[in-house]
Amino acid sequence: MTYLSIDRLSYRYPSGINALRSVTLSIEKGSSVAILGSNGAGKSTLLDILLGYTSSTSVFLYGKPLSKYGRKELGRLIALVPQKEQFSFAYTLLDYTLFGRAPYLSPMGSPTSADSLISYEALAKVGLGGFENRSITALSGGEQQLLLIARAIAQESEILLLDEPTSSLDPANRKRILTLLKQLHAEGKTLIFTTHDANFAYELSSDIALLKDGMLLDYGKKEEVVKSELLTILYDTQLTVTEIDGRTVIY
Amino acid sequence: MNEYEIQKRYKMITLLVLIALSVIFGILSLFVGRYPKAGFTPPSLFYTDSVARTILTKIRLPRVVLALAAGAMLGASGFTFQLLFSNPLVEPGFLGVSQGAAFGAALMIVLASTSSLAVQVSAMAFGLLGLVFSHFLSTRFRFGGALLRLVLAGIAVSAFFFSGLGVIKLVAEPTKDLQDITFWMMGGLWNASWVSIIPTLVVIAIALTILYVNRFTLNLLSINEKTSFSLGLNPKRQRTMLLVIATVGTTFTISVTGLIGWVGLITPHIARKTFGSEATHALPASMIMGSFFLLLCDSFGRTILPTEIPIGLLTSLFGALIFVIILSSKRQEGKA
Repeated sequence: MTYLSIDRLSYRYPSGINALRSVTLSIEKGSSVAILGSNGAGKSTLLDILLGYTSSTSVFLYGKPLSKYGRKELGRLIALVPQKEQFSFAYTLLDYTLFGRAPYLSPMGSPTSADSLISYEALAKVGLGGFENRSITALSGGEQQLLLIARAIAQESEILLLDEPTSSLDPANRKRILTLLKQLHAEGKTLIFTTHDANFAYELSSDIALLKDGMLLDYGKKEEVVKSELLTILYDTQLTVTEIDGRTVIY
Repeated sequence: MNEYEIQKRYKMITLLVLIALSVIFGILSLFVGRYPKAGFTPPSLFYTDSVARTILTKIRLPRVVLALAAGAMLGASGFTFQLLFSNPLVEPGFLGVSQGAAFGAALMIVLASTSSLAVQVSAMAFGLLGLVFSHFLSTRFRFGGALLRLVLAGIAVSAFFFSGLGVIKLVAEPTKDLQDITFWMMGGLWNASWVSIIPTLVVIAIALTILYVNRFTLNLLSINEKTSFSLGLNPKRQRTMLLVIATVGTTFTISVTGLIGWVGLITPHIARKTFGSEATHALPASMIMGSFFLLLCDSFGRTILPTEIPIGLLTSLFGALIFVIILSSKRQEGKA
């Protein structure tokens, strides 16, 4: 039985535009899948469907349709790191990380000290240990991204969905996030992330799905998918894949 | 015990102290009023004077209880609205609720009766109608996100009710009805009797309980909707449910008290400054501070002058002052 499968998924916006057309993907447990494509390719829609936020009958986890899972049950299986969080109130880093414990709380409960220990650990893991009582409104862009990941770690889910995890970061923070995500992948988490950055996709993923105009151009092991011809079609511009000092670089 | 537990315990103790202070202040305020003369009533008088005893049990006690309950409700619903709209500057007056209630009260005063029950029911019905209209209008708007549409619809509905209210005031009989309308719009607790407040107290108790048990969920509804969905919530359904609870509680409250502004805007701010933004402690703090603030304004209003100052005027005066201080202070949270 495949772990997470998408079977001929099509999605049309209420406005009538086709966002996704007959997309079929099969994702192994513990893999790291990049959904690569240019803006408007349907990456975010696909991620929303994988989260269950946009409902669909074409996505199966452990062979069971995503829509058949209870809300909290799904929260314990799939966590989301959004591109941007909405911070209207001055929560502390610990407060926000504790939100990740919500799927484990009883309907009217609030976090326990055991939840707080998990959250302290999650913050330490992303390098924000010692800042638990700082306000989230005082964080830089890179630190915010780390915090979002810490909250998702505290959620202790099997799958981590990440929406453009490094799109607005400087190179130093990009590297920091990359190292952290590689570590989470090595620890056995299944990562599924959208990106338009082919180099980032290649560095982090084990498999890559190329999405163009809502259609799957190719999907497979990254070494098989990342080819000059395919990427040139994907981005409608001449791209070259080459090796420099043993590293694959796309330019 | 880790730092989290220490902080939690510290906040819990502070909350208990605040509750104790409100109760003590409530008891003290039973001894102030305008009988036999404005100011302090000596406790010994309640033993000797049966009129004083009646005033204590049938006038002052229900009034103090109403002040505590109404303050808690306004503080809680303000806090709830702010989290649900992810905006620290929102209050229950949004969504056409308050203006709807004012219109309903004025309409009943002019058309039929000045009996307090009829006015209350009409205020409540039109307050809820304001919410329903706002929601309906927001689904017809073709501009902005869902929350912005709802707020804009609320502004439009408020304006409709406001102009309707203007027409009612024009035709109202000036010596009696117009005065009643004006008084209702300034807010006051002088109507409080056990009979008139018990239905409201029951509704407030239910609404506060529901909001309190959902306090952790309220946090999750203030962040990105997709994040709250991924945390196991059903954001649209839970947001609507809590919004309706807060609105019903508010409408029931102002149907008895008249329009009382600013409590729902100010107390959540102070609560968050004292207890942090996380709602587990800040929500109950907002309730207690609302109670305390309303009781303070009411006690002040009924003792400081020989005639009573409407409570709505005092909450606006003090509320606006505190608001200015908060907005001028250096550290502010989030967006405006």
